[in-house]
Amino acid sequence: MGNDDNNQQQAPAASINDELLSRVGQITRTLHDSLRALGLDKVVQDAARDIPDVRDRLNYVMSMTEQAAQRVLNATDTAIPLQEQIARAATALCADSTNASLKQELTEIAGKADRTKQQLMDIMMAQDFQDLTGQVIRRIIELAHELESQLVQMLVDYAPAEQRKEANAGLLNGPQIHKDREDVVADQEQVDDLLSSLGF
Amino acid sequence: MADPNMKFLVVDDFSTMRRIVRNLLKELGYSNVEEAEDGAIALSMLKSGHFEFVVTDWNMPNMDGLTLLQNIRADASLSHLPVLMVTAEAKKENIIAAAQAGANGYVVKPFTAATLDEKLSKIFEKLGK
Repeated sequence: MGNDDNNQQQAPAASINDELLSRVGQITRTLHDSLRALGLDKVVQDAARDIPDVRDRLNYVMSMTEQAAQRVLNATDTAIPLQEQIARAATALCADSTNASLKQELTEIAGKADRTKQQLMDIMMAQDFQDLTGQVIRRIIELAHELESQLVQMLVDYAPAEQRKEANAGLLNGPQIHKDREDVVADQEQVDDLLSSLGF
Repeated sequence: MADPNMKFLVVDDFSTMRRIVRNLLKELGYSNVEEAEDGAIALSMLKSGHFEFVVTDWNMPNMDGLTLLQNIRADASLSHLPVLMVTAEAKKENIIAAAQAGANGYVVKPFTAATLDEKLSKIFEKLGK
């Protein structure tokens, strides 16, 4: 009884699925035809070709900002201890001195060196932008990579037969690493199915 | 302030951030600091290095900071280590997950020297150091 209920529920679900798939198929076909008609397949091709360039540029931004941040950190690493030395020396001289105006001057020097050091610490802290912007840029590079492979796959899937042959010219691809690809068989059963569907 | 010779491990995949944290720790009086660029490297350093405090990022290749934290808590010889997470991950679920995994503190980037100082002091206070 329970089985009957299940079957009745599954049947319409399956046909809705089939309908959905066939509708998506039609839309895809129409999209493809329109792209072709408007000459947009060329645009897609250009877009796919331009993405590696975009990735290169983003990588360039990452490496240049990193270099700049490291240069700033090198400079603050050198300058902070210098300011500390100046402050210490001025304080020591101040303690040794008996001249009132000189003491006054040395105390001010120590204070200024200390304030300069605080500013240098602030400059150092501000370099944390490199980590934060770097993480964002990395994510965009990954997205661009995904977009590129989807565009390329679309081009391969909808390329005219003779062009597709060019793209897949090599038959010596070696063992397949990505067995979930649509153009690759995953096991012997699929090999046999394919052969029998071709009448062998 | 806790023992100034306390040995810190700073874990972050961005060398800029490692340098910044190292300098801040130095400014706070802790100059015994080593660095690791991901969780996997950090874990092997921790197992061989007698560290006393871990400051780690979350999002890193090979092994992320949360997994590192979980590994530390699961290892009897390391489970006592205080771990402070310093990360750009700012979702509530991140913070909850870190707390549940046993993080001693959580600092969101970008942070200030004062914030780091405050979180460290709080951790030392709780640990009675």
